[in-house]
Amino acid sequence: MHLYQVIVVAISSVMLYLGIKEFVNRETGQTLLKLAVRLVVWGGMGLVAIYPDFTLILARIMGVVDNFNAVVLMGFLLVFLLIFKLLSAIEKVEQNISELTRKEALNEAHKRIEELRQEIKAKKKERETS
Amino acid sequence: MNTVIVIPVYNEAKVIGEVIEGVRAQGFEHVVVVDDGSRDDSFVVASAHDALTLRLKINRGKGAAVKTGIMAANLLDADVVVTMDGDGQHDPADIRPLITPILAGRSDVVLGSRLLKREAMPFKKVIANRIGNVLTWLFYGLLVSDSQSGFRAYSRYAALIIDTKADKYEYDSKVIREIKNNRLRFTEVPVHTRYTEYASTKKTKQGLINGLITLYRMIWKLIA
Repeated sequence: MHLYQVIVVAISSVMLYLGIKEFVNRETGQTLLKLAVRLVVWGGMGLVAIYPDFTLILARIMGVVDNFNAVVLMGFLLVFLLIFKLLSAIEKVEQNISELTRKEALNEAHKRIEELRQEIKAKKKERETS
Repeated sequence: MNTVIVIPVYNEAKVIGEVIEGVRAQGFEHVVVVDDGSRDDSFVVASAHDALTLRLKINRGKGAAVKTGIMAANLLDADVVVTMDGDGQHDPADIRPLITPILAGRSDVVLGSRLLKREAMPFKKVIANRIGNVLTWLFYGLLVSDSQSGFRAYSRYAALIIDTKADKYEYDSKVIREIKNNRLRFTEVPVHTRYTEYASTKKTKQGLINGLITLYRMIWKLIA
């Protein structure tokens, strides 16, 4: 077994484990479709790493004449992982910015919200008593 | 019942005042306007019309603005929360039919649908909406007639339980997912759409490019 196979299998296993765990725990947004996509993407990578000859079957089906070699596969995987990591980080930062902006907006309007809340409460009480 | 109307705005200074007055004319006093980092006077105009106006200092997208407005409505102990666009394309006269199923205790979420009564909807928009509906169904498992409509009503329970991190236009589809995941009772009510010159010529409306970005975000969330 080559080193790249161990790395790919390890990464795929972790991603598959996380996907299955999130689905089993019924975490928000974990649908059967999402699990299926994860199984295909990461499972496919793992499968190709363990059985490199599988690409020959794929190559035959897809009409590609030559086999994918390990370097190309590793290159693609590396780029894919880098993009994956970068986009995840950007998304996390975006979410944090939104959360901060939201908190700031609500804090700034806190006084007005409290006034309105008291006003609504008073009106409700008035309606109930009358 | 305390009904709070949430209106997200981005550069709508020209029409937001009219929209707020239209809502008030229907008997809804409490209006929350969320200014999503506008570069014009939207914030000033909305404040001048005595709406509770929140300002997101950076433009964060429609989803982020709507979520902020719903949080403010929850702080105001709203029994029903209605969300509608700030460009005047939604008719405030539709608010009452929209909240009726919630007041009657029949639904947790009511989706305003522009396609149940199509009227003057441009053909291009009809096709785009149908594609949006099919994609929403494929990704989130619930088929509705107008998955991209921002004109919606939520019960207090739904407004508290619906939670999504979507900041941009995919927010509307994510709410559909939340309805399915939380097994909320929902219904669709036909709403009128006013395709004014202002609303249809606005640059920031969801076009082909934004639609593709939304699709990309939905696919990304599937594998990430």
